[in-house]
Amino acid sequence: MPSFSIQDFMPIFPAAILAVGAMALLLSEAFLVSVPHASASRGYQAVIGVITAAFAGTVAFHNAFEDPRVVLQGFAVLDPFSSFVTVVVAVTVGLAVLLSAGFLKHRNAERGEFYALMLFAAAGMSLLALSAEFITLFVNLEVLSVATYALTAYLRRGTRPAEAGFKYFILGAFSGALLLYGAALLYGATGTTKLAGMAEVLRAASSGDKAWLVYCGMVLVATGFAFKVAAVPFHMWTPDVYEGAPTPVTALMSAGVKAAAFVALIRVFVALAPGLGPQVPFVLFGGLALLTMVAGNLMALPQRNVKRMLAYSSVAHAGYVLLGVTALFAPAAGTEGHGMGVLSASPLLGQVPASAHADIYKAILFYLLGYAVTTIGSFGVLAALERREDETRGTTWDLDRFAGLAHSKPGWAIAMAACMLSLGGIPPTVGFMGKLLVFRAAVDAGLLGLAIVGVLTSAAAAYYYLRVVVYMFMRNAAEGAAVPERHWQTDVALAVATAGVILLGILPGPVTAWLTQATMLALR
Amino acid sequence: MSAEFVLFWVFAIATAMSALGVIVTKNPIASAMSLVATFFFLAGIYVLLWAHTVAVLQVMVYAGAIMVLFLFVIMLLSLGEDTSMTKFSPTRIIGGVATAGLLAALVLAFRKLPEASTGWAASVDQLKAFGTLSQLGDVLYKQWLFPFEAVSLLLLVAIVGAVVVAKPRI
Amino acid sequence: MQLVPTQHYLILAAVLFCLGMLGVLVRRNALVVFMCVELMLNAANLTFLAFARERGDVTGHLSAFFIIAVAAAEAAVGLAIVIAVFRSRGTVNIDELHTMKH
Repeated sequence: MPSFSIQDFMPIFPAAILAVGAMALLLSEAFLVSVPHASASRGYQAVIGVITAAFAGTVAFHNAFEDPRVVLQGFAVLDPFSSFVTVVVAVTVGLAVLLSAGFLKHRNAERGEFYALMLFAAAGMSLLALSAEFITLFVNLEVLSVATYALTAYLRRGTRPAEAGFKYFILGAFSGALLLYGAALLYGATGTTKLAGMAEVLRAASSGDKAWLVYCGMVLVATGFAFKVAAVPFHMWTPDVYEGAPTPVTALMSAGVKAAAFVALIRVFVALAPGLGPQVPFVLFGGLALLTMVAGNLMALPQRNVKRMLAYSSVAHAGYVLLGVTALFAPAAGTEGHGMGVLSASPLLGQVPASAHADIYKAILFYLLGYAVTTIGSFGVLAALERREDETRGTTWDLDRFAGLAHSKPGWAIAMAACMLSLGGIPPTVGFMGKLLVFRAAVDAGLLGLAIVGVLTSAAAAYYYLRVVVYMFMRNAAEGAAVPERHWQTDVALAVATAGVILLGILPGPVTAWLTQATMLALR
Repeated sequence: MSAEFVLFWVFAIATAMSALGVIVTKNPIASAMSLVATFFFLAGIYVLLWAHTVAVLQVMVYAGAIMVLFLFVIMLLSLGEDTSMTKFSPTRIIGGVATAGLLAALVLAFRKLPEASTGWAASVDQLKAFGTLSQLGDVLYKQWLFPFEAVSLLLLVAIVGAVVVAKPRI
Repeated sequence: MQLVPTQHYLILAAVLFCLGMLGVLVRRNALVVFMCVELMLNAANLTFLAFARERGDVTGHLSAFFIIAVAAAEAAVGLAIVIAVFRSRGTVNIDELHTMKH
C-alpha cells in the first residue's frame, strides 16, 4: 500500500503556513475586531500577514537546499527551482500586504479577508510552482486565480473594480479550460496525467498515429499558459485588469502570479519537450517572445496613464522572460539530436546536465526576482500617490500627477526613479543585471536575432520609463495639487523594494552565486 | 447495430443540439435550461462510457447545484432578452477562424488514432470494478492526496472570495 | 461485443468544446459567456472519460471529479462577480464594459 512520509510534505510547508496565516486572519476578523467598521482596531492584521509571509519564505529558503526529488506519489516535486520561486512569492506578498495596509486604511476598507485572500493567492502560487501533475497544476492554478479574481473586485469604488474582476475572471476561466482540454488530449496520448510518466511515453506517442493528438494538446496547453503570463497576442485582458484592480493587488498580480505561472510553464514544457523534440516549443515560445517584446513595448509608448503604461510594461517584461524560456529549447549547434539529449526525460530540473541550461535557469529566476521587487516598488509609489476622491475619474494615474514629486516627496521620487531605471534596464539596478543575464543566456544559446530585438526594444522602452523620471525631477507641480497622505507601512515597503532594486543591481553576486549553487545542487 | 450505438447517437445528437441551444437562444433563461439539458444528456453519455459514478455526480453537482446557482442569479438580476447584435470585430473574426481551425485539427487528430482496443475489458472482474465508488475512493485517498487537499483549499478560497465580492459595500 | 469507437466520443467532445469557444467569442451576455466556459470544461471531462474507458484507467474519472469540483468553485466566485458588475452598472452586457480605454 502506498504511504506518505513526513518528508513528502516538506515542499508544501510554505503553502501550508500561508494558508494557516490566512485562516488566522479570517478568524481574527470574526472574533477580535470589536468595532465592525472602524479600521483603527485592524492594525495588527497587516503585521500578521507580513510575519506569515516571512515565516513561509524562511521555510522555503530552507527547502531550497534539499536534494531535488519527486514527492507525494509523483504529484509534486521538491527542488530548488520551485523553492526559490516560493521565496520570491513570499517576498512579493509580504511587500504587497504592507502596501495594502496604507492603501486600505486610507479608504477605510481594511478587512481581514483582504489579507487572507492575498495569503491564499500566495499559497496557490507556491503550490503551482511545485505541481508535477496536470490536474494538481490546474487545481492550484485555480486556487491562485480564484483568490486574485476576488481581490480584483474587492473595492466597490466606481465601476472599475467589478469590471476588471469580471474580465479577469472570464479570461482566466477560458484559459483554464484551454489548458485542461489540452491536458485531456495529452492524457489520451500517454495514459497518465503525471509529467514524469508522460515524458516517458510521449516520445513513442509523438511519432506514430498519435502525433496530431500530442501536438494539438501541446498547443492548447501552451495557449492556456500564454493567457496566464499575458504573452502577446493573448494579452488583451491585461491593461484593463491591471488598471481596474486595487493597485497593491496589481502589484501582486504582475509580480507573483506571473512568476508562478512562468515556473509552471517551464516545468511542463521542460518535462514534455524531449518527447516532442524541442523544435515545437522552440518555435512556439520564440514566436511568442518576439511578438511580446515588440508589441508590449510599442503599446506602452504612447500611454500617459502611468498605471496602464506599467501594465503594458509588464507584458513587455513577460517577453524578456519568454526569451529566456526560448533559450531553453534552442536547438543545439549542429545536430537536432543533441538538443533532444540535453533535455533529458525528467520533470526535475535537476537532471538537465548541460551547464548552459543551468545558466538559463539562473537568468530566468534572477529576472523574475528582480522584476518582482521592481514592479512592487513602482506600483507601490503609484498606490501611495492615489487619492480617494478621484478614483472614479480617469486622470488618477496621469503623468501630471508625478510632476514635481522630487520636491514634495523626495523619498518617493527616488524610489520611483530607481524602479523606472530598473524597468528600463539601466545600471546600476537589478533590472540591468536581469536583462544582462537573460540576453547573455540567449546569445549563448545561439538566439542572436531574438537577443538583438530584445536589446533594441528595451532601448526604446527607456523613453517611456525616463519620461516619468523627467516629470518627477524637472517639472513643477500644478498649483494647488493635494499632498498625499503617508503611512509608515507604505514607506517601509517602498524602502525595502528600493533597497532591493539597488543592492541587487550593485551586488548581484550573493544571489547569483546562490542560484548557481542551488541549480548545482539540483544537478547531482 | 447494438443498443450502445442507438443510445450513443440519441444522446450525442441531443447533447450537441442542446449545446447549440446555449449559444443561439436570445433569452438567458433559455440558455441556462439548454445547458441543464446538455448536462443531463452528457450524463447519459458518461453511463455509456462506464463512468456511472461520474454520471451521478454530473447530475447532482452540475445540473443540480451549479445550474441552480446560475438560474438563481438570472432571476435575481431579472435579465431580459439579449437583443444586442454581435459586433464583428477583427478579434472575433480571428477567434472564429481559430475555432474552426482547432475543430478541423482535432477531428483530423482523432481520425488518425488507431482503432480503440478495450481489450482489458475482457476480464469480467476488472470490468465489474471499473469506475465504481470503491475503486475510485481507493485511488483518490491513497494516491491523489495532494490534489484532494488542494481542492479543499480551493473550496475555502472560493467561499471567502464569493462572500467578499458579493458584499454590497466595503 | 461491438463498442462505439472512442473516436465518436472524442469528436462529440471536440464539437462541444468548439461550440463553447464560439459562444465565448460571440455572446455578449456575461452569464451566457460563463455558461459557455462550463461547456468547454464538460468537453474536457468527456475527453478524459472516453480515454479512461479505452485504457481501463480510472485517472480519467478522478480528473473529471476534480474538474467538477473546480467548476463549482469557479461558479461561486464568478457569479458573485457578475452580481457585483450588475450592481455597479445595471447591465451584464460585455460590450458595455468599457470604462477603461487608453
